[in-house]
Amino acid sequence: MKSLKKRPAFSWNMFLVLLLVMEFVIFGSKNAKFLRPALLLNSANDFLSICIISVFVTFVMITGGIDIQVASIVGLTSITIGVAWQDFGFSIWQAVALAVVIAALCGALSGFFIAYCGVQAMVVTLGGSFLYSGLALLVSTLSSTESYQGISGFPEEFKWITKYKVFGVIPFQIVIFLVLAVLAYLLLHRTKYGRKIFLVGVNQQAAEYSGINSRWVIMSTYILSAVSAAVTGVILTSYLGTAKSDLGSGLTMNIITAVVLGGTLSTGGKGSILGTALAAIAIGLLRFGMPLCFKVNTQYLDIPIGVLLVVVVVGRSLASNPAVIAKVAKWRSGMKKDKAAAQ
Amino acid sequence: MSAAKKFLKAREMSSFFFLLALFLIVGAINPKFLTGTNISACFNTSVVYTLVAVGMAFAIFIGEIDVSVGSNLGFVATVVGSLLRDGANWGFAFTVGILIGLIIGIINGWGVAVMKVPSLIFTLGTNGILRGMMYIYAGGAWVENLPKEFKDFSSVTLVGSFTVYYCCAVLLVVIIHALLTRTRRGRYFIAVGDNAGGAELVGIPSVQTKVAAYMICGVLSAVAGIIFCSRIGFVTSASGNGYEMKAVAACVLGGISLSGGVGTVIGAAIGAVIMASISYLLVFMGFSSNYDNAITGIILITIVVADALMQRRATVRNRHARLAARTMSAEEAKEAAK
Repeated sequence: MKSLKKRPAFSWNMFLVLLLVMEFVIFGSKNAKFLRPALLLNSANDFLSICIISVFVTFVMITGGIDIQVASIVGLTSITIGVAWQDFGFSIWQAVALAVVIAALCGALSGFFIAYCGVQAMVVTLGGSFLYSGLALLVSTLSSTESYQGISGFPEEFKWITKYKVFGVIPFQIVIFLVLAVLAYLLLHRTKYGRKIFLVGVNQQAAEYSGINSRWVIMSTYILSAVSAAVTGVILTSYLGTAKSDLGSGLTMNIITAVVLGGTLSTGGKGSILGTALAAIAIGLLRFGMPLCFKVNTQYLDIPIGVLLVVVVVGRSLASNPAVIAKVAKWRSGMKKDKAAAQ
Repeated sequence: MSAAKKFLKAREMSSFFFLLALFLIVGAINPKFLTGTNISACFNTSVVYTLVAVGMAFAIFIGEIDVSVGSNLGFVATVVGSLLRDGANWGFAFTVGILIGLIIGIINGWGVAVMKVPSLIFTLGTNGILRGMMYIYAGGAWVENLPKEFKDFSSVTLVGSFTVYYCCAVLLVVIIHALLTRTRRGRYFIAVGDNAGGAELVGIPSVQTKVAAYMICGVLSAVAGIIFCSRIGFVTSASGNGYEMKAVAACVLGGISLSGGVGTVIGAAIGAVIMASISYLLVFMGFSSNYDNAITGIILITIVVADALMQRRATVRNRHARLAARTMSAEEAKEAAK
C-alpha cells in the first residue's frame, strides 16, 4: 500500500527532473554560456522570488485554497521598508521587522475571512490583491520621494543580504531559498502540522470531526504565504537597491504555474514541496535560458510558460482519463501479441 | 410572493441599491456630482467592463472561471486596431476580431469541459499565451493612428448623454437576461452551475453547455476589445491587463456567487458600473486616484464577507426550522413558524 501511494508522486518528480535535464541539454547545446556556473547562479537572482513564494503557496493550495494576493504583498513590504526607513527614522532592521509583521497581518486578515467566515479563497485574495496594492500605493505617498522613482540609497549592511556570496560563488539569496525550502519540506512532510494541512485539504469536515482545528490550520497557511512574500520583498528590495510599491506585480501567474506544475492538486489534498521547488526552478531556467539561447524577447516569455502549463495539465488529465488508459493498455497488449506471433 | 416583492428581493437589487446609495452619498458630499453628464459618464465609462463582466458571468454561472478575458480583450484590440489603421473595411476587421474571440472561447471550453482541466489553471495558461501573441503581433509597439471616424464613434450619443455603445450594451444585457431566464437552453447554464451531476442526469448536455458558456465569454470579451480600441484610441502591450480581476469583482459585486448557479447578467452589469465609477466618484469626494485600488478592495471584501455571513445565518435558521419540524407536533411547528 505504501509503495502504491508513493509511486505517482515519485514519477511526477522524476518527470520534473527530466524537464530540468532537458532544459540544461537544450539550452547548453545552443549556447555554452548557459552552463557557466557563475552566470547560472547569478541568474537565480531573477527568479528566486518565484521559487520562495511558490513553495509556501503550495501549503495554501493543499488546503484547497488559492492565494493570488502574494504579489501585492511583495510590493507592500518593499515600500513599507523604504518609507519606514527613510521618512519615519526607523533603523533598517526595524523597518524590515515592521514590514514582515504587516505582511503577516495582511495574510492573517485574508486567512481569517476565508477560514472563519467561509468566503471563497479566490474572491478574498482577489480583494486582498486590490487592497494591499492600493495600500502600498498609499504608503508610497507618505514618502517625500516621488513614488515612481522608488526609494533608494539603503545602507550597505542591508544590501549585504544579496551581495554576499558563500564561498565566493553562491549568492546568499540561494542559501536563504534552500534553507526556507528545507524548512517548508520538514514542516509539510515531517510534522503533525503538515499532516493536518493534508487532511484539511482532503476533507475539511472529517478533519474537524477528528479534533483538528481546521479553521486555524487554513488561516495559518495564508500567514505563511504572506510571510514568504514579505521575505521575497526584503530580498528584492535589497537586490535592486530600491523600494517600490509595484514590485512583484506580474508574479502571480508564474507562482500558480509553478505550484500546479509541481504536482499540487488545485482542489487540495495533494502536493509536495520538492515538486513545487523543482517546477519553480524549471520555470526560472526557462525564463533565463530562452532569451539567452534563442534571443527570445523577455516580453514573449509568457508564451512558453503558458504552453508548458496548458500542455502539462491537459497531458495529466489525458493520462488519468480511463478511456485513454484502456486504449493504451489495449495497444500494449496488441504489441505483446504481435511479438508473440512474430516469435 | 407577488411580482413586486420578488423584484425587490432579487439578489441584484441589493447591488442596485448599493450603486444608488453610492451616488447619493457622493452627491451629499459634493452636490456638483448630481448632474446628468456626470452620472451618465459613470455609465458610459463602464461599457467595456460591462461586456467583459457579462462574459465572465457566463463562465461563473457554470461554476468555472475565465481569467483569459483580459488578454483576449487586448489581443482582439491589437488585431482590430492594426487592421483598421492599415485601412481595412470596418466589417471585415470586426468579423476577424469576433472570430478570434470565438476561437479563444472554443479552446478554453475544450480544455475545461472536454479535457476536465481546472478552469483557473487552463485559462491562466491561455492568458499567458494570448498576452505573448499580442506582443508578437504588435511587435511590442503601440497601435496608434486609428481612423478618426472610428475613435469619434465612441462619443456619439443616442439617448440623452448615453453613448451608442452603452445603449447597445444595455440592450444586449437585457436580451441575454431574457434568453437566460425565459428559454429552455438559457436555463441550462444556471442548471449546470448549480448541480452539474444532476443536470447531466436530467438530460442536459453539460459539456456542450460549458463550451457554449466559454464561447459567449470569448465573443463578449472580443466585442469589449473592439469598443476598448474605439474609446481609448490606442492599444499598448499592457492593454487589458487586470480586466479579468475587475470582471470577477464586478460579478461578485453584482450578487453572482463564485460557486456557480446563482446570479443574473443584470447583476454583473450593475457591478461593472460600480467598478467603473469608483475612481470617478473618488475625484468628487476629494480623494486622489491613489485610493482607487484600496477602496475597491475594501468594498469587494466587505460585500463578500457580509454575504457569506448572511448566508450562514440563513443556513443555521433553516436547520433549526427543520429540527423543530421533526421534533415538534404539527400544531407546535405551526406556532413556532408564526
